Amino acid sequence: MVAFVTQFVQTLIYGLIEGSVISVGAVGLTLSYGVTRFINFAYGEFLTYGAYLALFLSGAGLGLSLPLPVATIVAVLVVGAFGVGVSRVFFEPLSDRGPLPLLITSIGVAFILRYALTAAVGVSAKQLPVPLMRPVEVFGVGTTPLRAAVFLVAIATMLLIHVLLTYTMLGKTMRATSGNRNLAEIAGIDTDGVVRRTWFISAGAGALAGVLYAVLFAPFRPTVGFEYLIVIFAATLLGGIGRPYGAMIGAIIVGVAMNLGTTYLSAEYTMAYAFAILVGVLLFKPDGIAGGEI
Amino acid sequence: MGVFTPTALLSLPGWGSFLLTVLTIAGIYSLLTLGLNIHYGYTGLINFGHVAFFAAGAYTAALLTVPPPAQVSGAEYVFGLNLPMPLGLPISLVAAAVVGGLLATLIGATSVRLGSHYLAVATFALAGIFGSVLENEAWLTNGSFGLNSVPKPGRAAMSADTWAVAYFVFVVVVLVVVAFVLSRLTGSPFGRLLKGVRESEDAAQMLGKNTIRVKLTSFAIGGAVAGLAGGLYAHYVGSVVVQQFVPAVTFTVWAALLLGGVASNTGAVFGAFLLVGFRESTRFLTNIYDSLLASLPTVAADALRLAVEPLPDHASFVPSLRFVVIGLLIVLVIRYRPEGVFGDPNEIDAIGEED
Amino acid sequence: MSRDSSESDAAAGVTRSDSDAPLLEVDDVVKRFGGLTAIDHASFGVEAESITGLIGPNGAGKSTLFNCVTGMLTPDSGAVRLAGEDVQDLPPNRIAQRGLGRTFQTPKIFRGMSVRENLAFAARGQTGERPISALVRPGTVGSEEADIRERVDDTLAFLSLDHLAEEYASGLSGGQRKLLELGRVLMLDPEIILLDEPMAGVNPSLADDLLDRLHELNDRGRTILLIEHDMDLVMNHCDRVVVLHNGQTLASGPPSIVQEDERVVEAYLGGFENA
Ligand SMILES: Nc1ncnc2c1ncn2[C@@H]1O[C@H](COP(=O)(O)OP(=O)(O)OP(=O)(O)O)[C@@H](O)[C@H]1O
Ligand SMILES: [Mg+2]
Repeated sequence: MVAFVTQFVQTLIYGLIEGSVISVGAVGLTLSYGVTRFINFAYGEFLTYGAYLALFLSGAGLGLSLPLPVATIVAVLVVGAFGVGVSRVFFEPLSDRGPLPLLITSIGVAFILRYALTAAVGVSAKQLPVPLMRPVEVFGVGTTPLRAAVFLVAIATMLLIHVLLTYTMLGKTMRATSGNRNLAEIAGIDTDGVVRRTWFISAGAGALAGVLYAVLFAPFRPTVGFEYLIVIFAATLLGGIGRPYGAMIGAIIVGVAMNLGTTYLSAEYTMAYAFAILVGVLLFKPDGIAGGEI
Repeated sequence: MGVFTPTALLSLPGWGSFLLTVLTIAGIYSLLTLGLNIHYGYTGLINFGHVAFFAAGAYTAALLTVPPPAQVSGAEYVFGLNLPMPLGLPISLVAAAVVGGLLATLIGATSVRLGSHYLAVATFALAGIFGSVLENEAWLTNGSFGLNSVPKPGRAAMSADTWAVAYFVFVVVVLVVVAFVLSRLTGSPFGRLLKGVRESEDAAQMLGKNTIRVKLTSFAIGGAVAGLAGGLYAHYVGSVVVQQFVPAVTFTVWAALLLGGVASNTGAVFGAFLLVGFRESTRFLTNIYDSLLASLPTVAADALRLAVEPLPDHASFVPSLRFVVIGLLIVLVIRYRPEGVFGDPNEIDAIGEED
Repeated sequence: MSRDSSESDAAAGVTRSDSDAPLLEVDDVVKRFGGLTAIDHASFGVEAESITGLIGPNGAGKSTLFNCVTGMLTPDSGAVRLAGEDVQDLPPNRIAQRGLGRTFQTPKIFRGMSVRENLAFAARGQTGERPISALVRPGTVGSEEADIRERVDDTLAFLSLDHLAEEYASGLSGGQRKLLELGRVLMLDPEIILLDEPMAGVNPSLADDLLDRLHELNDRGRTILLIEHDMDLVMNHCDRVVVLHNGQTLASGPPSIVQEDERVVEAYLGGFENA
C-alpha cells in the first residue's frame, strides 16, 4: 500500500514536471496560432533547434563551452529570431491565401529544417552536458535538483508569459490581433509587428521547451521535436487552440496522463497516450476542455 | 538493344535492374498518390496519415502469406496463414485493399466531422497510434523485427531478373486498372458529389447530400487503393517492417500529389514517378562522385575533393538532403504553382476552405 | 400561434388538405451565441404556396433564423415544423430531402466546378452518386445524366445563365452567383424555397426578371420565404410579411396590415437609422 502510494505520487511528480515542459511548447504553439490561424507542423523543429543550439553552445562542436543556462538563453533568443525569419521567408508570403496553403507549407518547412539539421549533424544521439544527480527524496518520493530546476524554469516561463499577456501593451495588441486582425489594423495596431513578435516568443518558447526536454530525456536526435510535436498538439488542443491558459492546463493533464499510462498500463506506448488524448479531444470536445467559441 | 528478348531478360545490366526497381516502386507510389488524390484532390480531406493505410495493406498481405511462426526462427508473431503462391496473391491483395479501406473508414469515422485543420492533426495522430501498435504488438506483427518472409509470387519459377520484369508488368497492369476505375469514378456523378463536398460542405448539405457519408466513402476508396499499394509492396520487397512506414512516406506522397497536380489522376501518377525517380536516383550520388574522382584528371579530381571536403561526412548526409528537397518542393509548389503540373488552377481555388 | 388565422386569406388561392397547419412553422425558437440571443422566442408560420417576406433591420436575426430552420444550427429551444413534422433535430441534408431548399446571403457556390456541374450536382436521386452503381450501371447513369442535362439547360435558360454553362463558377459576378444558387435550388425542386436576399447584387433589370421567375414558381405551387430589405418589393410582391426585430417576431400578416403597425414602423425604421 505504501509502495503503491509512493509510486503513484512519484509518477504524479514526473507527470507534473513533464507537463510543465510540454506547457512551454504548447503555449508557444498556441500563441502563434492565435495570430496566424494555422496549425504549424514545423513547430517541433524549434524544439529541436533549441536543443541542438544549446548543445553546441555549451560544449559540443563549436569550441564554446558556455554554462548551460547561458547557452539556453542564447539558444532561445537565436531560435526566436530564427522563427521570425522562418515566418518571413515561408509563411508571410502566403498570408493572404487562407490557412490551408500555410498548413501544407508548414509540413514542407518541417522537412527542410529537420533534414537540413540532420544533414549537418547526422542522426547519432546527443546529450546535453548535465551532471548526474542523486534524487532528493522525502518519504521515498522526490526528484533530482536538475528536474526540479526544469520544473521551476518552466513555471517561471509561464509566469513571464502571463505577465506579458496581461500587463503589457504587446499582450493587449496580441489579443486584439488574435481576435480580429483586420479590426486590430483599423484600430491602428501595427499587426505586422505583433505577428513578428509573436513568432519570436513562440519560437523562443519552442526552443526552451526543446532544451528542457533534452535535459529531462537525454539523449536526443534531430527528430526529437517532430516526435514530440504530437504531445504538444495534444496539450494545445486539449486546452482549446489559441488559448494560452488552456494550453498550460492541457499540458499538465497530458504530462500526468502520459506518465500514469507509462507506469500503470504499458511502458511501450508513451507517445500513444498523448495521441489517444488528442484523438479523444478531437472526437468529443474539438474546441478543448474550456469549451466556448474558438 | 536486346533488353526485351526473353534471353536478355534473364540477366539485366546493373542499371537495368535498378531502373526496374525504381519504376516498380514508382508504380506502387502512384497508387498511393491516386488514393490520396481521392481524399484531398477530389474531396478536400486533409489526410496526414496516409501511410497507415499503406501499412495496413502491407501487413495484411504479409500475415496472409508468411509461413506460420513455427517455421521461422526467432518469430514472435503467432500466426501466418501461408496462403500458397501465386494463387493466394489475388486473395492477399484484395484483403490488403479491404483492410486499408476499413482502417481508412474507421479513422475517417472518428474525424470527418472535424474542420480541415483538425482533420489534418487527427489523421496524423491516428496514423501515429497505428504505427506504435504495429511496433509494439509483436504477437501480430513481429514488432520492429518485421515479417521477413513474405513470398514473392512466382519467384521460384524464374530468374531474379525475369521475376523483376514480370512483377513490374503486374504492377503496371494493376495501376492501369485502378487508374481507369478511379477516372471513371471521378468523372461520374459520384465524382461530382465529391467535388461539391470539397467546394462547400454547407451547400452540399443544403442540397440534400449526406456529406458525412460522402467523406467516409472517399476515405474508404482512397484507403483501399493505398492498402492495395501496401499489398503490392509487401510481395515485391518480401518483408514488412515498421520502419518502412514512417510519416515521411505520407509526406512524400503529398509532395508527389502537389507536384503532379491536385484533382488530376494523370498528375498523381506523374508526380509519383517523378518523385520516386528523384528519390531513388540520388542513391547513386556517391557512386557518381566516386567514378568522377576516378575518371577526372588528377587536378580536377583534387579540386572536386577539396570542394566536397567541408561537407559533413556521415551516412545520412545524402538521404537527408533528399528530404530537404522534398520539403522545398512542397513549399515551392504551394507558393508558385498550387495547381502542380497537371492540375487546373480553377479547381483548387476553394480546397480546404471552411464554409 | 399569435397570428389570427382568419387573416390567412390564402392569397395564393389554394389550400392544402391539412389546411390549418402552415407548411413551415417556427414555434418559439431561441438561439443564443454565447451571451447574445440572436433569436428570441420567434414564432410564425409560412402558408403553403405563399410568397412570404421576412424583414427586419440588419442583425435582426433573419439569416440565423434561416440557419435554424434549415438545420445548419440547432435551436436552443423551440420547434421547427415542416409540413407538420418536427425537423429541428434533423441534419440539413434530411431537411432538404423533405423538400426545403435555400440560398445563402453570401452565395456558397461550388467555385471549382462549372456552372453546369453546379446545377447537375443538385439533382435528387442520382443513381451514379453511389460509387458502385457509377461503375456497374453505366446505362442507367447515362440516361439519368441525359435527363439531368436537359433540366440543367432549361434551368440555365430560365435564369438567363445559358451562355455561362461551361464557365467555372469562380468566374461569375456576385449577381450571377446569386442566380446560380437559385438555379441549384430549382434543380433540387423543393416544396419550399428560402431565399436570403436574392436580389442583392443582381442588376436591376435582371432583378425584375427574377421577380417574375419567383411568381412563376409560386404559380407552379412552390412556397417562397424570402429575406429582403427593399420595402417596396416586399409590400408589392409578398402575400404575407413577417417582421423580425432583435430576434423577436414583431408582427406578421398581410403587407398592408403590417405596414401600418406602429411598433413595426418605429422599430424597423429606427433600426434602419441605426444601421
Ligand atoms: N455564428 C455566429 N456566432 C456569433 N454570433 C452570430 C453568429 N451568426 C450571427 N450572429 C449574430 O447574431 C445576430 C443576428 O445575425 P443575422 O446574420 O442573423 O442577422 P440578419 O438579420 O441576417 O442581418 P443582415 O440583414 O445584416 O443580414 C447578429 O448580431 C450577429 O452578429
Ligand atoms: Mg442576414
